[in-house]
Amino acid sequence: MSKGFANNRLTLLALGVVACFMAVGVRLVFLHVIDRDELLRFVDKARRQIVIEHARRGTILDSRGNLLATSRSEMTVAVDAWALDEFLQIDKNPAKRARRAAEEQAKRVQLAALLGLPVAEVEKAFVPAMRAIKPEADKRDGAVDGLTKDRWVKLREGVDEPTFAKIAALNVRGLTAERVYRRVYPGNELAAHLIGFVNKEGSAAAGVESKFDLFLKGEDGWIESEKDGARREMAQFRSREIPVRDGHDVVLTIDSVVQHMIENELRGIGAKYQPKFASIIVSDPMTGRILGMANYPSFNLNEYNKAPLDVQRNRAITDQIEPGSVFKIVAAGAALDQGLVTPLTGFDCGNPIVNYKGRDLKLPKEDHEFGRLTVAEIVSHSSNRGAAHLAMLMGEQNFYDYARKFGFGQRTGFQLGGEERGMLEAPKNWDGLTITRMPMGHAVAATPLQMHMAMSTVANGGVLLRPQIIQEIRDASGHVTHSYAPERIGQVLKPSTSALLAQLLHGVVGKDGTGAGFDLPGFEIAAKTGTTQKIIDGRYVTTHHVGSFVGFFPASRPEVVLTVIVDDAQVPGGLNYGRAVAAPAFRRIAEQLVQYLEIKPVSPATRGLLALSGGAR
Amino acid sequence: MKPPPANANVNRLIALSLLLLVFSGTLGLGAVWVRQEISQTANRSRALVARIADVERRLDEVNAEVAAAVNPDALLKQNQAMRLGLGTPQEAQVVRVEGSPELRLAAKRNREIFSLASAPAGDSAPLFRLVTASLR
Repeated sequence: MSKGFANNRLTLLALGVVACFMAVGVRLVFLHVIDRDELLRFVDKARRQIVIEHARRGTILDSRGNLLATSRSEMTVAVDAWALDEFLQIDKNPAKRARRAAEEQAKRVQLAALLGLPVAEVEKAFVPAMRAIKPEADKRDGAVDGLTKDRWVKLREGVDEPTFAKIAALNVRGLTAERVYRRVYPGNELAAHLIGFVNKEGSAAAGVESKFDLFLKGEDGWIESEKDGARREMAQFRSREIPVRDGHDVVLTIDSVVQHMIENELRGIGAKYQPKFASIIVSDPMTGRILGMANYPSFNLNEYNKAPLDVQRNRAITDQIEPGSVFKIVAAGAALDQGLVTPLTGFDCGNPIVNYKGRDLKLPKEDHEFGRLTVAEIVSHSSNRGAAHLAMLMGEQNFYDYARKFGFGQRTGFQLGGEERGMLEAPKNWDGLTITRMPMGHAVAATPLQMHMAMSTVANGGVLLRPQIIQEIRDASGHVTHSYAPERIGQVLKPSTSALLAQLLHGVVGKDGTGAGFDLPGFEIAAKTGTTQKIIDGRYVTTHHVGSFVGFFPASRPEVVLTVIVDDAQVPGGLNYGRAVAAPAFRRIAEQLVQYLEIKPVSPATRGLLALSGGAR
Repeated sequence: MKPPPANANVNRLIALSLLLLVFSGTLGLGAVWVRQEISQTANRSRALVARIADVERRLDEVNAEVAAAVNPDALLKQNQAMRLGLGTPQEAQVVRVEGSPELRLAAKRNREIFSLASAPAGDSAPLFRLVTASLR
């Protein structure tokens, strides 16, 4: 071999090596400089992912910790038929491929049984198909033809977790699933008007769900991370993480058992009288905490979409009615509080005409003819003229001021909102007869809750409280973040006056009272019947009434305030008075509450002690 | 002084290079091992978090079912279906006991114990009984 030939060989080899290095260098320049941005985008798209973690909506509980609303996870099962196709294509051996296909088909038969679907429907979903997309977005499969592989064919939604666990165990190729949270209400109709609901889009629509949505919904979290070829997250490459914050739990003041009692009673009222609506409210007079609030008609929260909007209204706060004779507590309480009268002060309730400020005024009619009545009898017999006399004794402005102090004509501040203000005109807007009609509950409108809170004022020593429906809010770990204490709006009556009025109201269920026969021996029911003629076509009619029975017990140691209102009960002869349609329900509920809330009967000794202390607690 | 032979310097250089190679190799392997451990721990932690979330989901599921089963309406239906005849007590059926029932029951129990203990009293020594939970 000559020396020249060897040198040439070395030169060629060196040139080859240099050329190879240059090729690699050029490729590196392309990869790292020229195509850098595009390649980085591709890598980012292929590897990076943002996983959103949905916050679990908080629960709604009653005061004893019973679940009223909770979230339940459900699976939406879908099919990616192309994934199955690609899996089968991997195997080049036709026999093996056929065996795998047969295995998958056998799994699909079991899948259909678990989903409760016909096998044909499931099989149809597993046939690869294309779907139309916008041409500008059509870059997924190479061909720009306005079609792309359909990788999401929904099979069934609302699959519960245990069933899905069985489905997952089948390991069906091409099956995908998405977890969604659905709101469930274990009590169905229980407290429907208070709880409200979350619709299918996940928006809170009414009640606590809507008003306290900010607390309940929580905050979604997300993780920025990378995924491997099998689309599994590679946790070691997490770059940013915002932790999920589950929603807070809202604890209501209501008691499920009390709520059930009153809803049961409302169902009975509905079946017996087919009223336009009926409301029952139970509360603790000393704290203003609502133990139960229900309306007829009601609806099932799990089937809210079947209920008309009218039925979904919480009529206890949205509907205004004339309070009728229940309003007489204002006239009696105010006159006693100002010391203008005593329970034994007498008034002539037989004379239909009275002279007031130099004018002869016609007094309202009575249900029965009365002669001279004491204040105690005016309350127990529910004398319209007697109430008018008490109001006239005070004067328009004075009477109006007391009515305002009792909470009429202004919102109670109910925490769920949506309540009506009621109607109470200032004296300057009154006509000449208003001073004789308003004391009997005409020319004034109130919501059932306003009437309830006014009676509560008499029960608790003369203090108007804000009704409480929310007890507390707890975070996801159970710590109390907000607590709602009783809220005092104002002192309406002196404690001694309220105690005195309570005893007079106990007379309503006495022998000659309008609520005779509805007392519970030993439990001193103090209440007021109310019957208001309804206004139809601008005139009061005698066949349509709103019957009410509002009271508390025991009169000398009030523990519960209870309101029953029945609007336009269908009773033969139009005798749909408060005594007939509301008082029996009041008594039945009271009997149950005595046992459930362990209310002890009032002993004579207790009565004497309270009388000595003037009823102040 | 006689300078060291050229071969010795080369050998020392090779030895140092090998040492450096081993050292950097160890560092590299160590780094790989640490990264592997990190990834395994991260994935284990992710699996645990997923498992906790799964258990919480199941708990919610069970809680919802329990709440549905113990709601007053469901219990009343059970009462009817099982013909238990349970109902709200009426006032006439209730006897209210004044004072603490615990103290009253404790006093009654003590009376029984001491009457048993003192019954055979005579010439013999008093008989004491050991009262345990099983005797209650």
